[in-house]
Parts: sequence; structure tokens; C-alpha cells
Amino acid sequence: MKFTVTREQLHEGLTAVAASVPTKTTLPVLSNILVEASDDGLRLSGTDLDIAVSTVVAAEVDEPGSVTLPAKKLVEIVRELPSAAIRITTAGEQRVNLECGRSKFRLLGVSKDEFPSFPPVDFEDHWKVTSADLQKLIGHVSFATSTEESRPILNGVLWELRADRMRMVATNGHRLAKMDVPLTSAGSTADLIVPPKALDQVKKVFGPADEIEIARSENHLGFRCGATRVFTRLIEGPYPNYDQVIPKGNDRIATIDRQTIMSAVRRVGVVASDQTHRVRLSFSPGTLQFSVNTPDLGEAQDEISISYDGDAIEIGFNANYLLEILKLMPTDEVQLAMQAPERAATIEPVGWDDPAAYLCLVMPLRLVD
Amino acid sequence: MDAFDSKRILLADADAFFVSVARLVDPEGAGRKKLLIVGGSPDGRGVVTSASYEARAYGVRSAMPTGKALKLCPGATVVGVPRKECVERSKAVRVILQDFSPSVEQASIDEFYIDMSGTEGLFGPDLKFTADEIRKRVLEETGLPFSIGGGTSKLLAKLAAQRAKPHLDNDGVYIVAPGDEIEFMRLHRLGEIPLIGPKFVERLEKIGLQNVEQALRLDADAMVALMGERTGRWFYRRIRGLDASRVRAGRPNKSLSHEGTFARDISNDAELEKRLLAFSTRVAADVRKKRMKAKTISVKIRYHDFKTRQANSTFTYPVSADRPICEEALTLLRRLRKARNAPVRLLGVSLSHLNPATGEWQQLGLFGDPEKGMETDHDIVLSKAVDNITTKFGHKGIVRATEVKPREKD
Repeated sequence: MKFTVTREQLHEGLTAVAASVPTKTTLPVLSNILVEASDDGLRLSGTDLDIAVSTVVAAEVDEPGSVTLPAKKLVEIVRELPSAAIRITTAGEQRVNLECGRSKFRLLGVSKDEFPSFPPVDFEDHWKVTSADLQKLIGHVSFATSTEESRPILNGVLWELRADRMRMVATNGHRLAKMDVPLTSAGSTADLIVPPKALDQVKKVFGPADEIEIARSENHLGFRCGATRVFTRLIEGPYPNYDQVIPKGNDRIATIDRQTIMSAVRRVGVVASDQTHRVRLSFSPGTLQFSVNTPDLGEAQDEISISYDGDAIEIGFNANYLLEILKLMPTDEVQLAMQAPERAATIEPVGWDDPAAYLCLVMPLRLVD
Repeated sequence: MDAFDSKRILLADADAFFVSVARLVDPEGAGRKKLLIVGGSPDGRGVVTSASYEARAYGVRSAMPTGKALKLCPGATVVGVPRKECVERSKAVRVILQDFSPSVEQASIDEFYIDMSGTEGLFGPDLKFTADEIRKRVLEETGLPFSIGGGTSKLLAKLAAQRAKPHLDNDGVYIVAPGDEIEFMRLHRLGEIPLIGPKFVERLEKIGLQNVEQALRLDADAMVALMGERTGRWFYRRIRGLDASRVRAGRPNKSLSHEGTFARDISNDAELEKRLLAFSTRVAADVRKKRMKAKTISVKIRYHDFKTRQANSTFTYPVSADRPICEEALTLLRRLRKARNAPVRLLGVSLSHLNPATGEWQQLGLFGDPEKGMETDHDIVLSKAVDNITTKFGHKGIVRATEVKPREKD
């Protein structure tokens, strides 16, 4: 194998792929990146067996071939190299010489035969979505997935593909995020449960202007644009009936300036309990009061003006759940709708100039007596 | 430091407590046996809870399988543990000790820390004299011999109590006078100091510290450089007998547990799970009785070869209802069994990080189905109903269907 590539090209390719390389693994070859030189250029691939990322960068290939190289070291070396041509040649089966200007490195690789093959996903039958739509969905929804191992299904994002729209839903059982985006190029109907880590890769690897082709096999999902591909394992099992828990009759509706409520929650949240992060919200016409009382720590009160003319209501929330949602709301004002102190509250953007529809909901905290 | 400024702490430690109680309960039987083993059964099952000093001379130790103990000491008599009497006498001892100081901390069934600081006006400045008085009164009123150690910290009192034991030719009291702490610590091997375990000793040996004397030569900064900030500072104080922990009267329960050694080793997973559920239900009921909730659960297995393994997990929110506790206990047991599937002689479950049940904030869930580690209203109501039944009819009043033995057909 013998090829020349610019430092920038190689760096870009490695950055895309390196994120899928596991930091800790029991299978040593997974810490490596598969480097394949051919007439098409230089293909770089990495995987942690759950997610695989592969991309091609332009290179002048003199002699095709392939090898795997330690990802971390390769990335570090390329990062430190000056902006110039990098010449890579194999010396023997697994030894690689890397030269750039007067810098020379010799790296030991692992045979490419040990590198796992990528999941067989046939792109013949595929959906087509814009990367911009996908990024919007991922960016607003995937945060809400659960990190607890007890219910693996909630560790994934539900992705519903329909004739005229696609929707992502994620929840950890305490809060939920849901977004719909209209679709023009219809494909077949599907419900996929995708690990958020894979979606993060998709968000990172593809540019906002890309048109992405998506295809599935039985257990895997593939994303493709040009020569760049992302594959992920799908999470199996039925997703809980989220529609049933989205309240329809929340009639106590407050319209609130997003930054103002976020600042207030952050302020009083300082003295909230480390375990429950509880903040109490008291709504009365025109006013929202915040109070925190944490035994052994202290108390805090705050107040902001809001637009609200419903009955007074007091409701307790985990401050972190509120902040996570508020942070992602795409408008200056948000609408917070409630029904009762022990029922789910919904948060939605107000006056969002976008074809997408976004809704989050959060369950309150309750005092055990 | 002036003697009157320093703490005056005693540790009263019963001499072979279970043996003494067993003898008091049965003066004609166990009371006449010199070679006495308490715990397990004469056919060699179970483990030794305690043994008479005469039997200990044969190498019998507590927590040893009774079968092994009988091989070492064939002439010994084995009697069961008189649990009820042990608890009663322990309480009686505590009441007597509280006459000497309001600050009595029960460290175990037969060990009591007594903070005597500030009692000089009442009992005189001689701690040895006071300790002798305490010993005399406890022996007279309960029939139980105690050894008492004393010093300026709980750590010193604990080590001194070991030196006070009568079988070591002492008269049952050993007091480390203020100022003599370091001299006293020099008498000990590193591994004899509480909380310095075999692993730590190994680590100390690797860095060239074989005994207290060598360790005393290092200053605090050197210790920190060798073992890190926290351990270094702690160890520096430890080997000087310094221990800031206070005698805590009425210390709350740190954990509650339920465990059992089986009559025969159990290999069958279904059988183990059945036992575990019974233990879990009991310990959950104990937690509820104390109006507490637990944050952490541990399952312990001791295999036939005495290797012991433990698995723990933490609940997202504190719980006390049967369902989440039993479910998590099963998960932990399965994890342990997956790692090693050998016959089991002992199984136990414990709940810790206990906090008062009321006033806790609970995150409500979106989905009606219960999540791991979260108890639903239904769970709480159900557990309360079970508690009401057991209060009236005892623990056998209501049991899981799996615990019911199938009735033999006529």
C-alpha cells in the first residue's frame, strides 16, 4: 500500500470516523481504524460493533492495499503535523511508515483480517431525507432518552417514518420529547428504535446540505451520502405507547419568556437537592413564583412575570428536566400547560416559524407522606 | 494536651459473649462444659458463632464451619445460639452502662463504646478505677464477664480492649493513659489496627512499611506522597492512635439484613431464588417497620468452598415496598450466579442507606408500568396490607405462593 494525502483531508476523514472507535474495548482491533487505499481514494472505517462509520477522502494512491492502525495515535499524529502532504507506505504486513515533510513515524498495525465486517445493509430500497431535517429531529429529541439499563427500549429514539411525515420520540419515563417534520419524498412506513449515539454520529458526520439515503436490514440501519456511511444496530422490542401519556386536556396555560424562566430555575436550582433537584413552581395570574427548600442545605425564592390567567396551581419539578427542555425550545417564548400537580405538564414553542412541530412533556415530583 | 482536655473513651467488650449466655441459660448442660461451641449443630452443619476460650485453644474460631471446628476439637459440645436471651442480656448491659455515662454507643450485640469525658467529677480521675467498677457491676447484675479498654480515642479503646482480655493474663481492664498513645501503638502489627486489612497491609509492605515503628518515621507529607491525599492523611493519624470519630449514642441503623446458612448446600437456582424472595420480603418488612426507606440493596452468596461474593445496586429513589426490592434482589442474585454457578451454603440480602420514609420527593413516571427501582402507589398499598396481616398473624400469616410447600396427596 502506498498513497499520498493532504493533512487536511486525512484529518477530516479521521475526525469523522474516530468518534465511533471505542475508548475501552475487549477486542483490541476495535481501537484501530481500517485504512483502505484504492482507485476511489482512501476509505477510513471505525466501529465499536454497535455503530460503524466509514468515509472516503481523496488521495493519490500509487499502490492499493489495506491495514488497520491505532486510531488514537493516528489522530494525535495527524493533528500535530504541519499542513502538508502526508505519505503513507506499508513496510511488511503490519508496519506502516508515515512521512510528512521532515517528520517520520513508524506505526504498528493489526492485520485487516481481524477487523469486523460491516453490517450488510442493502441500499437498493431506501428512504431519502435531508440532513437538515434529520439534524433538527436529532438535536431536539435524542437528549430525552434514558441512560438507565433497566429498560433498554428507552435507551433508543423512536423514529417513525410515514408517507407524509417523520417523527422522533424519546423518553426516560419521566420526561419526553417529540418532534414531527413533514416529508415530501415518501418511502415505506417504518418504526425504528435507534441508539442516540448513532444519531449523534449521523448529526456529526453529514453536512446540513446533504441528502441522506437510509436503509435497513433486519437488525441494522444504514445511512449513506456519497461515500460516507454510518451503520447502527437497531434496538428491538415494542416502544411504549407514548401517545397515550401525552395529555390532551392541559387547560392551565402559561406563556413565559424562555430566558427569564431558565435564569430563575438555574438560580433557585443552586440550592435544590442533589438527588431530586426539586423546584416548586406556583402559578397565579400574571406571576410565577419559584421556591426551593432543601433540608440540611437551605432555601431560595424567586419570582417572574408571566402571562397566565388560569386558577392558581403549585407543582414541583426536577429543575434539570425543566432546563434541558427549555434550552432546546426554538423560540423566545414558550407555553407551559398543566392540569394538576401530579399530572404531566407540556412545554411547546410559541410562534415557531417552522414546518416542524415540537412538544416536550415532563412529569412532576410528588411529596411522599 | 492536658489530660482533662482529652477524650476518655472506654470500650466494653464481652468475653465470649454467646458462650457466656449459653452457659447462663443452661447451667447444668452447657454451663458445665469447658469445651463449648455455640453455633451450628452437633452433626457439623452451620458455623461457629463463638467458642469457649478452652475450645479456642484448639484453633476453633468464629465463622468457622462447625464441622471443621469439631475436627479440631473433637471433645467439644455444640449448642445452638440462644438468640432471644442474647438480645435481652445485651439490652440489660446497655442499661447498666448508661448509669455511668449518657453517651453509650452499641457497636454490636456485645460491644459498647462509652464516652466518659467529663465524668471525672463523678467517678474520679482514674479511668482504670471506673472501668473496674463497670466490670464488677455488669458481672454482678448480668453474670456476663466483660473486658474493658480505654484511651483517648475509639480506636485506642478498641485496641486496648483486646489487650485487656483475661485469657491474655490481664485483669480485664487496659487503659492507655493520655500521652502514652504512640508507645501503645508500637505494640501492634499494622494488620492488627482496625480498618487496615490484609490488602492494605500488602500494599504497605510493597512500599517498605512492615510495622508501626517504620510507619511512624514517615511524616504526613511523605504518607500523602506514597498513598494519596486521603489515605495518606488517614493512615498518618491511624498509626498514632488518633481517631476523631465520636461515641454516638442511639446511632441509627445503617443497614438491615436477613440471611441464612442452609441445612444442605443449594445448587438449584429456582430454590435459591425462592429463599432469596423470602429473605427479601422479611428485610423489606423490617425496613417498613422502622418507617424507613432504603437506597441500596446487596445480595451476598457464600459458596460451599466459603468464597463469598456480593453484588449491590442503588435505587434511583429510596424504596421500602416488596416488589422493587424483590425484583432487584433477584437481578443481583442472577448476576452472581452467572459469574459462578457453584453450590451455595449461605445467602443473604441487606438494605442500606436507610432514610426516614416521609418527606421524600418522588419523581412521578409517565408510564403506568413500574420502572426498576421505583415503587408505585400500588406497591406501597400492597406492602402495607401485607404488613397489617403479619402484624396480626406473624410472618407465616401471609407468604408468597412459591414458599408454600405442595400438600402431599392422600
